[in-house]
Amino acid sequence: MRGLLSFCAVAIAAAVALAAGGAAAQDKPRYGGVLNWFDYGDPGRLDVHAESPLVVQQATAGVYSGVIHYDPDDPSKIAPDLAERWTVSPDGKTYTFHLRKGVKWHDGQPFSAADVKASFDRILHPDFKSPKCGAALKPMVASVEVQDPHTVQFRLKFAAAPFLGNLASSWCRVAAKHVLEKYGDLNAPDAQIGTGPFRFKRYERGNLIEWARNKDYFVRGLPYLDGVRQYILVGGPTQLAAAKAGRVMLWDAWPPMKKTQADELARARTDVDIYQASINTIYVLYMNAQKPPFSHPDLRRAVSLALDRQELVAKALEGAGVPCALLDPKLVGDFALPLEEVQKVPGCRQPKDADLAEAKRLVEKHYPGGLEIEVAVRTVGNYVDRAQLVLAQLRRVGIRGTLKSYESAAGYAVFGKGEFTMIAAQDRSMDTPDPESLFSVVYSTNAGSNYGRWADPKVDDLAERALRESSRDKRKQLYWELQRHILASPTAAVPIAWVEGWFFVDKKVRGYKPALTTYDNNTFMKVWLAE
Amino acid sequence: MRRPPLRTLGRLAGRQPLGAAGAGIVGVLVLTAVFAPELAPHGAKDAAFSPYLPPSVAFPLGTDHLGRDMLSRVIWGARLSLWVGLVSVLVGVTLGGLWGVVTAYVGGVADSASQRVVDTLMALPPIILALSLMAALGQSVNNVIIALAVLLTPTAARTLRSLVLSIRESPYIEAARAVGCPHWRVIALHVLPNTLATYIVLVTVNISYAIVVEASLSFLGLGAPPDEPSWGAMLTAGTQALEPAPWMFLFPGLAISLTVFGLNLLGDAIRDLTDPRLRGGLG
Repeated sequence: MRGLLSFCAVAIAAAVALAAGGAAAQDKPRYGGVLNWFDYGDPGRLDVHAESPLVVQQATAGVYSGVIHYDPDDPSKIAPDLAERWTVSPDGKTYTFHLRKGVKWHDGQPFSAADVKASFDRILHPDFKSPKCGAALKPMVASVEVQDPHTVQFRLKFAAAPFLGNLASSWCRVAAKHVLEKYGDLNAPDAQIGTGPFRFKRYERGNLIEWARNKDYFVRGLPYLDGVRQYILVGGPTQLAAAKAGRVMLWDAWPPMKKTQADELARARTDVDIYQASINTIYVLYMNAQKPPFSHPDLRRAVSLALDRQELVAKALEGAGVPCALLDPKLVGDFALPLEEVQKVPGCRQPKDADLAEAKRLVEKHYPGGLEIEVAVRTVGNYVDRAQLVLAQLRRVGIRGTLKSYESAAGYAVFGKGEFTMIAAQDRSMDTPDPESLFSVVYSTNAGSNYGRWADPKVDDLAERALRESSRDKRKQLYWELQRHILASPTAAVPIAWVEGWFFVDKKVRGYKPALTTYDNNTFMKVWLAE
Repeated sequence: MRRPPLRTLGRLAGRQPLGAAGAGIVGVLVLTAVFAPELAPHGAKDAAFSPYLPPSVAFPLGTDHLGRDMLSRVIWGARLSLWVGLVSVLVGVTLGGLWGVVTAYVGGVADSASQRVVDTLMALPPIILALSLMAALGQSVNNVIIALAVLLTPTAARTLRSLVLSIRESPYIEAARAVGCPHWRVIALHVLPNTLATYIVLVTVNISYAIVVEASLSFLGLGAPPDEPSWGAMLTAGTQALEPAPWMFLFPGLAISLTVFGLNLLGDAIRDLTDPRLRGGLG
């Protein structure tokens, strides 16, 4: 697994480095300059512990530090961040982290182990909804204890292989105890007080987020940049126009460019390196399993059978994706079921005649005149295009949908409350490169993005057994069983495809390495701008 | 002696050739809208073909980014545009017109107060008002009609009020009042018929305006739902593929331009024909 992850990271990094001409790495880092970047939408809220949209993480990425993090120089490796080092007990259930001394919060207050405890007590509290870090850590962490002001212990419920990977996630950031006590949450711009390489400078709703260099950053000599500006650019044409005009220097996160967009950019700019990559993100269609019509498994099965994943990938993603897969073999290797097996599963197999006939029969059985539904979609990325294709495919089996579109943050609010019938298009990015992430993000009952509120005890049981298992082969067998079970179940989250796409880095941007997830390595602590 | 209708039309076309051209364009638009199911070779929402196919014999206007036949979408778009334009204008101009007629006839404080409401509504930039209404009401064809009707109401109220202010001082109105006609009867039988020509001009001129605003709202993503074949929404999709598929932008743009051109020519001709002060008018 680790070997494969390293291979992926090296492959991505090599692609970028090669495209950059190979000379960049030998240059001496230069101080100064502002990196211009973009967010696909307005985050609205900024609490990295309590939210799940990528834009929230992007908006705050450089402001906070983690106990550990994915190494900016080699994002396939886990490296110390606020912790200098750590030890693991022989039974694998206690992790002791030795924290850096002399670290200061952006407001000048000293950092200590009490801040780590306050942050993780908040994240792990049973009543606190933490769809990313909390969903990943709650199943495995029993408690967090302060040993002394610079030592903190994580006690696990069982020896869990993915623990360090989950803790290194960019959603598991450490916030200041005194800030949490003062503000109650981390939503306000004034509450963005971290220990990261950049201070949170300003947030103009719908327009701009800006960070400024933290001169007291605990890694001496970093960061190189004076600041980072994130323009809030909604919609593909606006994002592409900004890229073509040279207004943004980096396109490394969701939504990826489509091939036609990448070609258009290549014709407009010769000072960028364009590369194709996966962003460890799955495209899912959600149904609400708690209310009719999709509370009935027959109707959920009908939708799964009716959807033509291959057509969706070919048209909406212009072929850049892995249709049908529940886990992507390109990302998690043999933890994923072989694609040959997945593509024989009803709903995914081609041709679709038998599946469409069965879907139609199921719809007519419950709704003889056909079914009318409202289909929700957030107006970000190319979700609206995908939704139109979904509606066209569902019409073939007698399900007639009308689209209801939402602004990004408003959509998340509605989805979180379960106030929808179907979500036609929703990408879910993995928090870590471990196969476990998919289940803690989407499929377990307490998964952070289980918007359809589907509960299957067998899924929870298999997912937990896989977490507890230390033998790689046995884990693999458990994940195969889990995938087979979900693919055969009337799940409320239909896997459509793993998303790929095109990205670019301005040739002036140096020291940037794409991570294995879309969330990591966005602190830009080691990024600098060439003349 | 009554002239045959065709001869009358021929005479009008001779006097207003541009108007006749406009009527021809509008006639084609109406026929396209009415017979859309028969004319469109495919469903407007059927994404059954390869994306980005250029115009060809099989797909005269090409296909869009999702593999939908552009010709079918443009044809169905005519129905949507005409429906939204016609209904919103009839509702907006009728309600606004009645508002203006009644308040002008009543006069006094009621008229003054109602004009301040009209002033307020007219002070708001129309597209901002429409966008706000759509944001509040949500995306649907019916809500586009409501937003457009609200937009058109104050203009119609102001225009017909001005007209009625002069009509109400006319001797025949005085006479009707003198013989004891109730107000509703005076308005219904003597005032309204004299506003009809202006009402018709307002309707014809504003349909093109309503179609453009609907297209603008859809272009901005706040008009008809995204999968509806709105010309404005097609333009938005076209802007995302200007280089690989310029036909996605070109044909809905042409459809909007031609429709607005035709409706404006027709509206101008009707205005000229119903204005007794202009040479060649019907009066």
